[in-house]
Amino acid sequence: MIRTFAQLASLFSVLSLSAFGGGKVILPSMHQAAVGEYAWMNDQQFVDLFSISMAAPGPSMMVVSLVGLKACLPYGTAMAILGALIATVAMFLPSSLLVFVAGKWWDSWEDSPWRRSIQQAIMPISTGLILGATVIIAKTSIHTVPTAIMGLVALALMLFTKINPVLMMGVAGMISWFFLR
Amino acid sequence: MENPPAPSPRAPEAGSHPATVIPISRPRPTLWEIASLFAFIGMTSFGGGLTAYIRRLVVRQKGWLTDDEFLPGLGLVQLLPGANVVGLSVYIGNHLRGPIGAIVALSMIITAPFIMVCTLGFLYFHAGTTTDTKALLAGVTAAACGLMASMVFEAGQKAITGIWDIFLIGLTFVLVRGTPSFELYHHHVPSLPHLHVPYVIMIVAPLAIWCHRPRSNNNSHPQNKEVQS
Repeated sequence: MIRTFAQLASLFSVLSLSAFGGGKVILPSMHQAAVGEYAWMNDQQFVDLFSISMAAPGPSMMVVSLVGLKACLPYGTAMAILGALIATVAMFLPSSLLVFVAGKWWDSWEDSPWRRSIQQAIMPISTGLILGATVIIAKTSIHTVPTAIMGLVALALMLFTKINPVLMMGVAGMISWFFLR
Repeated sequence: MENPPAPSPRAPEAGSHPATVIPISRPRPTLWEIASLFAFIGMTSFGGGLTAYIRRLVVRQKGWLTDDEFLPGLGLVQLLPGANVVGLSVYIGNHLRGPIGAIVALSMIITAPFIMVCTLGFLYFHAGTTTDTKALLAGVTAAACGLMASMVFEAGQKAITGIWDIFLIGLTFVLVRGTPSFELYHHHVPSLPHLHVPYVIMIVAPLAIWCHRPRSNNNSHPQNKEVQS
């Protein structure tokens, strides 16, 4: 149990400092650790938890809390909550401390041309990582013709309309419940 | 009848100056106000476009920060790792009330979503295997997949400024996903393992920064030494 706590803390504090371009970019690593290396859950559970966290309010990557919850669920409800808490703190504290510390020097190099360079350099890396995350989600979530159609419709809606993503996921869930159950 | 002006907590350094000297008296929010606003943001923020949402609330509606104060913070958190919303809450909290403000803003933006996802998580693990929830989640995951795919397009649109960016996206993807082994001209090419994100960044970032190094406008040669100082 203590070992699981330590694994959660070290995994997410390292990933916290690697999430250049937002929380979504670390999803491939989170999947690899949670499903592969530590075997806390299977593919289906990981993708389900990810979707639940996307449909719930709050910052992106609350899936971190759910990974912590599942990792410690075998040890009981209280430990599961503690595991979720440890994972969440490990995910959000290091990057927040960095904002706090870096903010002090920010003024002096805000106008440096390297700032623009680094900003533009982060973009293709985070795009590649989000693409990797999308492939992981797609492999598990898109397995039949109806789910493929729903995924494509969802993509089109997100790209071409201003529909609220949570509303869209809720409606997709209801449609799917109505037709697929 | 005495009617003393309300003490301005905004400018304690103004000290003996009369209150009228302060040109624009912006409200300095209390910790309670910071806590309730960030709890509100945490509970009402969904999906993307959140930085614009926070800006509207903090700059436009509340007037706690000006754009001159907010936008550098946004630039900072976009450059640093971590979720932008979380970084912004730390930056804004710190700007308004120092470290305590940062802690309050950070914990309040997380608390309600944390309780929410944990509740949903327990529900899922207690009732996750019925046909009803399976059917429901099939739709939600498919839609979430579409949402993620749309983020690839949005990020790609901003990322691709040249042929190099396409190469960098591909390289990052291959490194993080790994490759199967294959035969190329009778040579066995071994499979590449999945690499963890920190290593992928360590490999690709120097290349990406070099591709996007600062260049002066009227001269194609990079003038790195000049701008580094």
